Amino acid sequence: MSRPLILGVETSCDETGVAVVRGHEILATVLSSQIDAHARFGGVVPEVAARAHVEAIRPMVHLALRQAGVHSDQLDAVAATRGPGLIGALMVGYSFAKAMAWTLDTPFVGVDHMEGHLFAPRLEHEAFAPPAVVLLASGGHSQIVHVKSWGEYEVLGSTIDDAAGEAFDKIARFMGLGFPGGPAIDKAAEGGDADVVKFPRALRDRPYDFSFSGLKTSVVTYLEKAKAAGSVPPLPDVAAAVQEAIVDVLVDKTFNAVEATGVDRVAGGGGVLANRRLRVRLEEEANRRGIALYLPSPALCTDNGAMIAAAGEFRLERGDVTPWSVDVSSSLRLSDL
Amino acid sequence: MKILAVDTATSASSVALGEGGQLVAMSVRVDRRGHGGFLVPAIDFAFESAGWKPREIDVIVVDVGPGLFTGIRAGISTAQAIAASVGAPLVTVSSLTALAVRAATGRRRIWPVVDIRRGQYATRPFQPVPGGVAPDGPAEIVTADGLHNLVESDAEDTLLVGDTAGFPPTVMRGLHRAKTGRPRYPSADVLLEIGEFKAERDHFVRPEDVRPLYMREPDAQINWSDFREEGIWPGAAG
Ligand SMILES: [Zn+2]
Repeated sequence: MSRPLILGVETSCDETGVAVVRGHEILATVLSSQIDAHARFGGVVPEVAARAHVEAIRPMVHLALRQAGVHSDQLDAVAATRGPGLIGALMVGYSFAKAMAWTLDTPFVGVDHMEGHLFAPRLEHEAFAPPAVVLLASGGHSQIVHVKSWGEYEVLGSTIDDAAGEAFDKIARFMGLGFPGGPAIDKAAEGGDADVVKFPRALRDRPYDFSFSGLKTSVVTYLEKAKAAGSVPPLPDVAAAVQEAIVDVLVDKTFNAVEATGVDRVAGGGGVLANRRLRVRLEEEANRRGIALYLPSPALCTDNGAMIAAAGEFRLERGDVTPWSVDVSSSLRLSDL
Repeated sequence: MKILAVDTATSASSVALGEGGQLVAMSVRVDRRGHGGFLVPAIDFAFESAGWKPREIDVIVVDVGPGLFTGIRAGISTAQAIAASVGAPLVTVSSLTALAVRAATGRRRIWPVVDIRRGQYATRPFQPVPGGVAPDGPAEIVTADGLHNLVESDAEDTLLVGDTAGFPPTVMRGLHRAKTGRPRYPSADVLLEIGEFKAERDHFVRPEDVRPLYMREPDAQINWSDFREEGIWPGAAG
């Protein structure tokens, strides 16, 4: 029996992502990114995002189907992100996908965005399966999740202030590096010496939780003092030091969770997992401990339609078809699934 | 001609099916939020009642605003998806036109008003003409005071319809030639009438041109204090 052909739609934040997926095979995945629209604000503006989604959603769905060589009548199900995320943004993709499923008389699955990220590693790594610890880090979320089995999740830790991607954005903005901050700092840190300055690692007493707002303050204080003293280190060194501080915390806490749960598989998801230094450090740490690491390729780390289709397939097989009356929700929580 | 009409531009959501000038099925709900939870169940119910299949639809008409941004986008996304899936053409109607058409019962000039939040109203004057209304001035965004001044400067007897119930008392004060009336909301049955009229004249809109009528820039605050005039390392960006 071949696996179901699923259209996945993701519009929870600033990417209009649509994909056509069958099992592990991504027949097409397309993305309309809004980075330029938000860059002048230095962050994602909800109303700007929603406006861009409503322009992009129809052409993106059309493009994904065309690239996949699939007619909408052939779809076995339509899946769309139901939450968490920006309500105005979620509403566009969710409404479009739901109406499409209704018209095609095919099942509709409203997917939890975070569960989508949990399923992303499976698209490229057939071996990836629970139990596992998954680090989810992006501009909107930072969590460590214990995936006990598919559908059974315990959020062990999360950020108590800024998300990791948000920390990158804010610090990059202060450093004059542009938006989005993660890739900007990644690039600026090339060849830099992270040991030039050591920024603080917060919340050492809470094994799985993150805090990044203190880091931003210390970077600002440090640079203003250094500038006043006329001794600002080269940009690559400071960028590397900032990156190391964020990466250190993410890696430490992830492996704290690995130790506590006793799992032998680690995975990751979210835009921050595209950071090259973070990928290297996770790999080193996993190798050192003889643990299997499953990182999606960068394009599947950031928000995308394929991961929504993948989680949608799981929900579909469980019979979790979403009734037409269910609306988007900005505050879904993995632990409640 | 079988028509589906979708209106989620204000607090009142409605969908309707019509054919040959007759209303075949309709569903309405008044709720500031929850447009997304209303739409497909209501459409499903309407088709069920009418005994129609989605593929039988010849035209889809949608209210593109002005109004509640999230509601308008839910309506447009829904209409777009159904249109794309069955290959039906789209017709768009402004919420102000829908209000004016339903209000046109006398000789008074009509000022339909839609509350678009943040103390702002969208409005546009319409003149009753045989068989309907004709716009008689530009669509505008005004404050409550601005609306008062607009109507005050109108030399004719006027009728204000739409979101008038929530007016601050200052809006109608001293306007002796103006009165408020119904309807309170645009609705899908009116869209059917306008949609049929437009479809008969081939006034279709290409899907890529079906856009919300926001009439206001996005609320985006640039916190300039977060940006350095020059970076710590000039020229570091990009
Ligand atoms: Zn995400």
